[in-house]
Amino acid sequence: MPTRSLSTRLLASVSILLIIFFGITIVLLDLLFRDLSDRAMRERLELQLRTLISASEEDPKAGLAPALDRIEPRFSNPGSGLYGEILRNDGYPAWRSDSLAGTGLEFAAQLKAGEKKYHEVHSGDGSVAFSLSMGIEWEFNNKKTRLFVFSVAESLEPYYAQLDRFRVQLFGGFAVVMLLLLGTLAILLRRLLSPLRRVEQEIEAVEAGELTEVGTGYPRELLGITTNLNALLTSERERLARYRNTLGNLAHSFKTPLAVMRNLLNSSAASDLTIARQLDEQVGRMDDIVKYQLKRAAASGGTGLGTAPVVVSDALEALRGALLKVYIERNLHCELQVDEGCVYFGDHGDLTEIAGNLLDNAFKWARTKIRLTAQRTSKPTGRRDGLTLIVEDDGPGIPATEHGHVLERGARLDERVSGQGIGLSVVRELVQLNGGVVTIGTSDLGGAHIEVRLPPV
Amino acid sequence: MRVLVVEDEKVLRESLVEQLKEAGFNVDAAADGEEGLYCGREFALDLAIIDLGLPKLPGLELIRKLRAESKKYPILILTARDRWQDKVEGLQAGADDYVAKPFHFEELHARMQALLRRSGGWAQPVLRCGPVALDSRTQEVTVDGKRIELTSFEYRILEYLIHRAGEVISKTELTERLYAQDFDRDSNTIEVFIGRLRRKLDPDDTIKPIETLRGRGYRFALQRESG
Repeated sequence: MPTRSLSTRLLASVSILLIIFFGITIVLLDLLFRDLSDRAMRERLELQLRTLISASEEDPKAGLAPALDRIEPRFSNPGSGLYGEILRNDGYPAWRSDSLAGTGLEFAAQLKAGEKKYHEVHSGDGSVAFSLSMGIEWEFNNKKTRLFVFSVAESLEPYYAQLDRFRVQLFGGFAVVMLLLLGTLAILLRRLLSPLRRVEQEIEAVEAGELTEVGTGYPRELLGITTNLNALLTSERERLARYRNTLGNLAHSFKTPLAVMRNLLNSSAASDLTIARQLDEQVGRMDDIVKYQLKRAAASGGTGLGTAPVVVSDALEALRGALLKVYIERNLHCELQVDEGCVYFGDHGDLTEIAGNLLDNAFKWARTKIRLTAQRTSKPTGRRDGLTLIVEDDGPGIPATEHGHVLERGARLDERVSGQGIGLSVVRELVQLNGGVVTIGTSDLGGAHIEVRLPPV
Repeated sequence: MRVLVVEDEKVLRESLVEQLKEAGFNVDAAADGEEGLYCGREFALDLAIIDLGLPKLPGLELIRKLRAESKKYPILILTARDRWQDKVEGLQAGADDYVAKPFHFEELHARMQALLRRSGGWAQPVLRCGPVALDSRTQEVTVDGKRIELTSFEYRILEYLIHRAGEVISKTELTERLYAQDFDRDSNTIEVFIGRLRRKLDPDDTIKPIETLRGRGYRFALQRESG
């Protein structure tokens, strides 16, 4: 559920609500319709019964029979669905309508005078009818009275047909209304949520470094988010810049005195003293600690939101040029292989620092050749490509037993063997802060093979 | 060799100047970027050591300006900001090498020597011209493998000439590069030293290492062998 989109969620909830609401409405309307139909039928039966009673006349054969011209002609048509019967209290039918022929309908048997009874009757052929029977005390012309049961019934088939029609219309109507409502809602949602989609696209663009901040012109409800997001992006960038500047100044103001101390300790007046050498060693340690911690602290270690992705080939080419200049006397060959379109989503300084330390080591140890490879890695769901950097040389390499140790160094600076650089531990720190891993191996060139993998995200 | 030190921290600058002088350099010093720019423009330098964090004119700017004015001498960055990005920027601006603070003077010196050698077109620390060999690390000079004792100033003149072996170097240039600003620039002194060098390197007057080109200057005439 949490990964489903807002509009899907809203549409799903509204659909469920509509189904419940329409369901209740349908049931209520159905009940109402049936109730109304029921009442209408009762009234109709009542009317037919009264007509039958008032049309009844004394009949010499069975006692009572209706005058056929005063009652509904349907009584006389078989299969018309309207049935009638006059039953004597001894169970003998005084009159049965012609329409009853072959139906096998049985009406209520005995009723007291004035008693009325509705009930459903089932005929032999499975059809259902609704009947009204009433007991009538008939006074003959000879003043004798006799109890008769007058019954009329109407087939329920037309009623059921009507009910079915009604239901079909009801469901169909509601289904159409519901679809229309949902469709309208979906369109409305698209329009309503379009600023949200814009925010999403713009944030993606910020992530990709195409935009430095989210645009303007958002509805009031979103303005809070977008302005705050922009403020956050700006302050984050400024904070990092300020932070770096401060760290740079700190390094500068800290290291210059260290340089002064070191120079004084190495001056001819002091260089023979043991204590001067020890102090000089301490200066070196202080320098390493400052260097290590400052480099760690200055790492952006993050997404580099709103900053354009670094073009890896440019950054590495610049580094290669710089190092070839510095190590010009070593006469090394440095091969650079960068995948097409290889970019680093992060801070330019971090990338330069990672690659710079690795390359510097390679330049120190290589005999003739260095190979620097940058590969682009991606995963289907990733928003940003990953980057793999491989630095190889044909120097002595790093013995397998040292692989773990070399990277761990720096975590405890005081355990370091003097003379070994902190380069690799700085690399490890920076890579970890950027969510990657460093592995050490042996290159087919013969020397060290150091691989930095910054995974796609 | 004439070296400019641009460093704003007084104690460091002074101790650096002291050590460089001891090592035989002719040293100019500047305390900020603008002064550095003036010295870098006006003086005939062999090398400049420039701190990146300078008042008035940042070191990077200073390097760019000097390079824009086609100053070709090697520049060595002295920096407390040792992020790779800073180093790359410095090298791209036109510097040739960097030394991170705090540094050992020996390291700085070695880097300077390498840069000076390279600017003279030498790849190896031992500069060989015919039978003459000059080891820039130990400051030893040998002829046919025999060690020659030179005074500090004689060594500096020879070092300069060998560095630029094959080129004609005027007396004025030698004076400018080897003497401090306030030195009495009497060209006769140079002649005297050149005479002494010739006698020490070539007592039998057979290899004729230093040529005099009348009115133009001197040239170290022996063929370069290494580099």
